Amino acid sequence: MRRWLLLLAAAAAALLMGLVVGPASLGLAAVWDAVIGRGDETAQSIVRGLRLPRVLLAFLVGGSLSVTGATLQAVVRNPLADPYLLGLSGGAGLGAVAAIALGVGGAWAVPLAALIGALLAIVLVYRIALVAGGLLDARVLLLAGVVVGAFAASLMGAVMALSPAPEVRNALLWLLGSFDGASWQALAIFGAYAVLPLAVLYAMARPMDLLALGEEPAQFLGADVESTKRRLYIAASALTAVAVSVSGIIGFVGLVVPHAIRILWGHTHQQLLPSAFLLGGTLMVVADAAARTAFAPLEMPVGVVTALVGVPVFVWLVRRWAS
Amino acid sequence: MCRGLRLALTIAALALSCAAPESARDGSLVDDAGRVLAFEQPPRRIVSLSPATTELLFALGAGERVVGRTRWCVDPPEAERVASVGDGLNPNIELVVAQRPELVLFYHSPMNDGAIAQLDRFGIASASVKLDGLADLRRAAILTGRVTGDSVRADSIVQAFERDLEAAAAPGSGNGPTVLLLAWDNPPIVIGATSFLSEVVTLAGGRNAFADLEQPSATVSIEAIAARDPDMVLLAGGSEDPDWARRPEWQVVRAVAERRMVAASGTEFSHPSFRAPHAVARLRAALQEAKP
Repeated sequence: MRRWLLLLAAAAAALLMGLVVGPASLGLAAVWDAVIGRGDETAQSIVRGLRLPRVLLAFLVGGSLSVTGATLQAVVRNPLADPYLLGLSGGAGLGAVAAIALGVGGAWAVPLAALIGALLAIVLVYRIALVAGGLLDARVLLLAGVVVGAFAASLMGAVMALSPAPEVRNALLWLLGSFDGASWQALAIFGAYAVLPLAVLYAMARPMDLLALGEEPAQFLGADVESTKRRLYIAASALTAVAVSVSGIIGFVGLVVPHAIRILWGHTHQQLLPSAFLLGGTLMVVADAAARTAFAPLEMPVGVVTALVGVPVFVWLVRRWAS
Repeated sequence: MCRGLRLALTIAALALSCAAPESARDGSLVDDAGRVLAFEQPPRRIVSLSPATTELLFALGAGERVVGRTRWCVDPPEAERVASVGDGLNPNIELVVAQRPELVLFYHSPMNDGAIAQLDRFGIASASVKLDGLADLRRAAILTGRVTGDSVRADSIVQAFERDLEAAAAPGSGNGPTVLLLAWDNPPIVIGATSFLSEVVTLAGGRNAFADLEQPSATVSIEAIAARDPDMVLLAGGSEDPDWARRPEWQVVRAVAERRMVAASGTEFSHPSFRAPHAVARLRAALQEAKP
């Protein structure tokens, strides 16, 4: 109980902090006025139109990435697994760069192309992984993810080298990760989409516990290993693909948050998944606040900050765990 | 600072700060990398590896000597008849050497150091030219004029250019519209005060909304833009009604929501050239038309 209170308090504090800080210096009172629709018009549009959807989206994406990281670590039984491991970042990158190089217009062209690229990579990795006798072998899945990622990255390099559009490099900047494109619309789309995969993953927390023991023990304990792995893989990857389309590729949170929760509070997925969701969301909101304020008006890629904040915390946790 | 004073200082900077290219003690020319240039006779075959120097060579009447250009060198239109050697930064040396140049003009950048060293080994002369702003244009023109052996023509063209620029510039009182110079929308990349486009905005009577940025360009947040509430948006390239302006998060920026946008379309806005007075005049008219 104490743990949940602590996580909820940290999340609430982070969301509040994310709402109060920003390149436009607004005091606490001005932010409150803006939230309830009073006071300066510019402050209102900044707080309600930009900051509020932004902190909520950052929380949702951070939480989702942590849950997918925890899931994939269980599916491939590899502590190095993260949401982007299985060819997803390469596919998304290729989609984004290709959209700009081909001059595809439209307000949502780049995020949509990144989503399509990521989904294609997922399908390709899945097809390759199934060649091993129709079963989803964790080792083949990992290898397929790495080769598809490398193949997509090479194609992306070729497009960048050959494209006459100097803007192509800006697609890479976008991919580095940011919540600057957050809006109520993006939040609603992501929120509506994320509910189903998150619910599927939470409902499969128990089979995930069994899977973490190893495929054979899981089978003996009555789990349908193949179908569990497939459902987990598809739900986690599809969720990550949509996260990429709203925020680019933000590393580290999905890798480290699940490990931090395991070190602090154990391995049971029924506890791990919601805890990782709260901690991942909190970390992402804090990282995003730092990204937009540390060097304001300049903005840093949020993935840079997640690593800068997360690595020292993780090293501290590992030391504590080892001792 | 008073607008008129700032304008006067900008023009003075053009005339004074770069009065002439550097000369070594023996009177020989020195390029922007500090390397001495020595020619027994003016080079007849020149490869130009930046759009600004290519345009400058044509403007100085040395277009016929240009035997190689980058794929970005499309001004004046005659330049497109010259063989392209690809990119200007970190160029393809084999293609450059194949043009049998007697001089290769580089954009001054550490990225080109390797290529310059390679040309040295082939015994091909090269020069680095820094041409980022209007203040560089005069020095680069005089340097290029001396290299091509036509200093008199270069001097007269520079004088005419300065007269035209002064005529095109807006006399103002320092309270012209604030202009957001936007190079890209997602992530938002804005242009700072040390860029050529910012100089054009200032001369046209506008004030760069991100004049405090030290970098030529930088990634900022939409919130930082909204907080500065610019009067107008100048789009570096593209159309005046881009698709991204319809995205919900951009509606917080009033100038975007109210479509107070001007497009800096045309290569006269992309690099310093003798067409700068034309760019200033065009932008001045556009700013006046788009006034809130």
